[in-house]
This record gives sequence, structure tokens and C-alpha cells, in this order.
Amino acid sequence: MRRRSFLPVTFLVPTLAILLVLSMVPTLYAIVIALQNRELSTPGYSWVWFSNFADLFLDRRFLNAVWVSVKWEIVTVVATMVVAIGLGVLMFEVASPRLRNIYCLLFIIPVLLPRVSAAFVWKFAYHPLYGIATYPYRLVTGGLIVDPLSKASTALFAVASVDVWQWGLFFAVIVLKLLETLPPQPIEAARLDHARRWQIHAYVTLPMLKAPLISLMFVKMIESLRSFDLIYVMTRGGPGVATETLDMYAFSQGFIESGKVSYASAMAVLMMIATVITFTMLWKRVQA
Amino acid sequence: MKSTRLAASLGAAFVLTASASTMALAQAPVCSAPVKVLAQPRDGLTLLEDSKDEFKKLSGAGFQIDYLNENDRRAKSRADASTVGNYNVYYVDEANVALFASSGWIAPLADYYPAEYDFADFDPGRQKVATYDGKVWFAPLTGGGDLMVYRKDILEAAGIQPPKTLDELLADVPKLTNADKGMYGIALRGARGSGANVWRWMPYFKAYGGKWFDGDKPAFNSDAAVKATETYLKLFKDSAPGTQTGSWDESTGAFLSGQVAILVESTPLSGMAVDPKTSQVVGKVGFLPPPAPLPGGGYGHGLAIATKANPDDASKKCAGLFVAWATSKENEKRRLDAHQFGELNRTSILSSKEFANIYGADLGQALAETGKVTAVNFWQDPRWPDLGDRWGIILEELVTGTRTDIKGSLNELEAYANELVKKK
Repeated sequence: MRRRSFLPVTFLVPTLAILLVLSMVPTLYAIVIALQNRELSTPGYSWVWFSNFADLFLDRRFLNAVWVSVKWEIVTVVATMVVAIGLGVLMFEVASPRLRNIYCLLFIIPVLLPRVSAAFVWKFAYHPLYGIATYPYRLVTGGLIVDPLSKASTALFAVASVDVWQWGLFFAVIVLKLLETLPPQPIEAARLDHARRWQIHAYVTLPMLKAPLISLMFVKMIESLRSFDLIYVMTRGGPGVATETLDMYAFSQGFIESGKVSYASAMAVLMMIATVITFTMLWKRVQA
Repeated sequence: MKSTRLAASLGAAFVLTASASTMALAQAPVCSAPVKVLAQPRDGLTLLEDSKDEFKKLSGAGFQIDYLNENDRRAKSRADASTVGNYNVYYVDEANVALFASSGWIAPLADYYPAEYDFADFDPGRQKVATYDGKVWFAPLTGGGDLMVYRKDILEAAGIQPPKTLDELLADVPKLTNADKGMYGIALRGARGSGANVWRWMPYFKAYGGKWFDGDKPAFNSDAAVKATETYLKLFKDSAPGTQTGSWDESTGAFLSGQVAILVESTPLSGMAVDPKTSQVVGKVGFLPPPAPLPGGGYGHGLAIATKANPDDASKKCAGLFVAWATSKENEKRRLDAHQFGELNRTSILSSKEFANIYGADLGQALAETGKVTAVNFWQDPRWPDLGDRWGIILEELVTGTRTDIKGSLNELEAYANELVKKK
């Protein structure tokens, strides 16, 4: 019995120790730096405690970045789930097994593209004069110009559509595979009760897939928090600060504009706290 | 006699040994490890990589260049120089040389630049940009001022003479725009950045008499800045689509693909405009200095010796040798032979017969003329990237219509500048 109880410890302790070191050291270091006034161009520093945090709440760009991050999170997660469920159900209902396989292969390709490559491809696609994505508008309007990345009202949605193109299609494949694994009896029973197709999915299949769909949503929420590369390549946070998310503003302050690493760290710490609290609350609510 | 012979033999042996060791010393490799360089993509550097063996023979070690685009190169080199110091040589530019030099991240170049590579041969304008606080910090890879590049055929068809003054430019640009036919009067830079939209805005600011600082007091919040911004926004109405959030690539790309009538841009554009590999408007292009009183935006990019990755004199000498070799006359001649106009910086090359044969007398004359009006338009201070980038964001908002209040925007920038000054 004793020997048995050692085995989990033997495997768990080194792994957890490595995980703890890897996650805690940078986190603690970020917290320490956030309480100082370090700048890249000067070797000296002093402790300013919570002054960086107080400054953040008076900073117009920071407050804008919080709002942009919230918008980005909502738009990309909701749109990805809608596209994924919509396309997954459509493939399940309409496509033959052979066709489904072809669609699955095609839908997986976007997510296999490196983020930066996808961003460059779409940046060019959105070009007002040569872009393939703006071509239909030029065709319909007789050559009128549209430049979605240069308008504050459309830039965020234009970038978000690339994120949805990558993840929505990939998740559609997962939703399809989940639907295929469901037992056929409840669906048959609903059909015998003359339920319409949409009713079968709304009241039978999707509720049966609630747990995996919520997991998918959480995965997307975490993934959406890491969209720095996509936004950076496509708009660099512009026009102005219309697509400047928190991570991008932190990077700007830390390394591009002013070298204020402490100020940037304060933002990172706030982001971490907000993320942990939000995700814990959501997780508890979902489990309740 | 015997003792005399012995003494003579010993003397000869000593002389031989001494000269042999001197020779050995002379041939001792200058570099003990490959030189690591952080740069942004340049045709000249790509060409340089073909001559890797030559540098290895010269120094005893090779080199490795990592490329990042301009903004990323600036961010990465700043982070690297202030922390780990992985790179022996940094690609620096007029916008960040003051910061790098005053932070001690790069070493004075003259201390480690071998005399035989003739630094004085560089164009005096580029030397000026490479100088901060009385010392030279980098060897130029590219640089110059501005030129007005225009489509002779389009202007002729419209019956318009090439504008010689800013007023003429402002009057001509709307007349040259014909959006239905995909032709735009001008192309500007809208993308945020001290080296992007602010760079193109500054000549207007200076032309109207603007000044960045008066001692430590911000002086830019003036009528000149308001007028310059109004003019810039007015011209943007006729700027090619895609330039509102674009920079050099977008504006020059629009010109080279035949969609723009007039472009006032940095001098490398002129070389690209006459090169069939990059231009669809070869043979249709004329060159003139920027319309008066616009000053040209004097700029320069080059290679500098990092201090952190080169802690001792030997490693600094190695980095210095690389910088000197990479920017040498021989390598610049190779760039001329490869028609890399934007990579030419030495007066001996720019005034050579080969240069005139390749690029023609017109361009040579325009370059000489524009040299007279080229000026340093930015605030030569380590805090310039901070201030310039902040204005870049505000200016991008004005260009894209996110904000409209020019005076309010300048007030906001002034408040930020005052904070920067306080922190000094």
C-alpha cells in the first residue's frame, strides 16, 4: 500500500515544481517590477509602490485599451462559436460523409497557417485598390473605394474576421465530429415526434453537447487573449488607438515608444488579475 | 672574431624572430567569434551576405544578420541593448541614435573604425545625422533627404508645370486627382510613428516656421503646427487609398505602380522609380527638390558598435572592423553595380562616372539641389521616439477622422512633452 502511494508523488512533484518555477518566477518578477519605476534607458530605479497602477487609471490610452480588449474578446468568441455551430450543423445536415471529409480538410487549413502569415495575407486582401476582399465592393459600386483597416468603426471587425476565419472554421470541424459521435436514438425520437431540423439541434443535439461546447468557448476565450501578433501585423493598434488591445499597449509602452517597463508590467499584472477573476467566476457559474 | 660572428648571428636571429612575431601579430585574427548583427531588411545587406567569405578571410570569423522590419527592429534592439546584449552590431537610425548613444548602448565609432576605410568619404549630410553630442556613432548604410518625384506624362497631359512652391503644390494636387481612372495627386504617410507619418508631416511644420523646443520648454504648440497639420490633412484628401494607415511601402508602392502624380519622399524612391524591376513608370518620371519652402527630411541609417555584447576593446575592434568593411568603398561599389541606389552613401561613388551612367544627369542634379535644402527636422534628443511616436498616434487619428480638433490634439501633446521634460 505504501509503495503505491509514493508513485503519484514521484511523478507529480518534479512536474509541479517545474511548473511552479516556470509560472511563478516571471509572475513574481512582473509584480516586483510593477512596483518600481524602471525604464529601459536608465539603469537606476526606485520603489514607487502603487503609483504605476494609479497612473494607469488616469491614462486615456489604457482605458481605451481595456475597452478594446473587452470588445475584441466578445466579438471574436461569440462570432467564432456562432460560425462553428452554424457550419458544423450545416455540414452534419447537408453534406455526405465524403463531402464532410473534404470540408473538414479545407476548414482545418486556415488554423494551420501561422498567425503572422494569415495576418499578412489578409492585410493585403483588405487593400482598398488591389485587395480580393474589397473587390466585390469595388465591382458593385463601380469602383468606389473601401478601406476597412483605416476606419475606426470597421478596423476591429476586419481584424476579428481573420481570427474567426482561422478558429471558427476549425471549431466547425470539431462541432461536426462531436455531432457525429452522438447516439442516434434521441435524434430519431425527435424526428418521430415531427420535430423540425432546427428544433432537433436547438433542443436535442446542442444541449447534449453543452459541456464540450463550453470547453471550446473557454479555449477560444484564452486564445483570444493572445491575439497580439494578428492585430500588430494588420493595424499596429490603429487607426489611432482603435484596435489597441491591452497587450499591445503594454508592449508599446515597454519596448516601442518610451521603454517604461514598470508601467508596462503594471498593465500586465492588472490584466492577469482581471483574467483570473473573470475566468474563475465564469467557470464557477458554468459549473453551478 | 668568433664572438663578433656569434653576436651577429644572435642579432640576426633576434631580428628574424621579432619580425616573425610582428607578422604573426599582424595576421592574428581580429575576431574570435562570428559577429551578430540585428538589422532591418536592406538590399545592400542581402548583397553583403554574398561576400561572407571575404570578411571571414579578413577578420577570422563570419557574421550573422538577423532581420526585423523597422518598428520591430527598433523595439528589439532597444530591448536587447538594455537587457541581455545578444548583438555585437546594431542597425540604428536618426530617430534612435540619441537614445542609444546617451544610454551607453553603443560605442563611439571613431575609436574602433580602421582609418584605411576612410570615414570622411561619406556624404557630409549623412555624417551629420550619424553625429550626436559631437561624436560619430554609426557608419551610414542609407540616408539622404527628400526629392519631389513626379509623373512627367500626367503633368503634361494636365497642362501643369512641376510645382516649385508649396502653394503651387497645394493648388496642383487636387487637379491631378482622377479617382475614376485610379490616379491620385499625391501619396502621404498616415501610419503612426516618428519615422512614419510624423516624418512626412515635419517638413510642413518646419516650412511654416515650427520649432520643437525652446531650451527645455516645448515650443511646438504653435500656429505653425496647426497650419502644418491642416495642410497635411488637406493634401490627404488626394492621397492614394491605402496610405491613410500606410507608410513608405504603401505610398511608394502606389507611385511605382502608376497611381500617383506627385510624391515628395525620401531619396531612395528615385532609384526605385528608374529601375524596371521595381517600377512600372520607368521613363515617365522627373525629379526636383521639394517645393519651397519645404525642407528635405535629413535621415540616415547605419551600423553601430554595441557595448553590452562587446565588453572589451578586442570585441569592439572586431565589431568596428565589420562595420567598416560592410560600409566600405568596395562594398558600396558592388551595390552600385547591382543598381541599389538607396544603398549609396559615399561621395566617391555618388560623384563617379558609373553613377552618372546608370542614373543619368537629371537625378544627379536633383540630388545635388536637394542636398542644399536637406535639414534635420526632428528633435535631436533621446526622448524623441517617445514624443514623436505619441504625435504619430494622434496624427493618425486626425488623418483617419477619429479626432478632428487639431489645437486640442496639440495641447494634449504639449502636456505629454511637459511630463517628459519633468522626468529628465
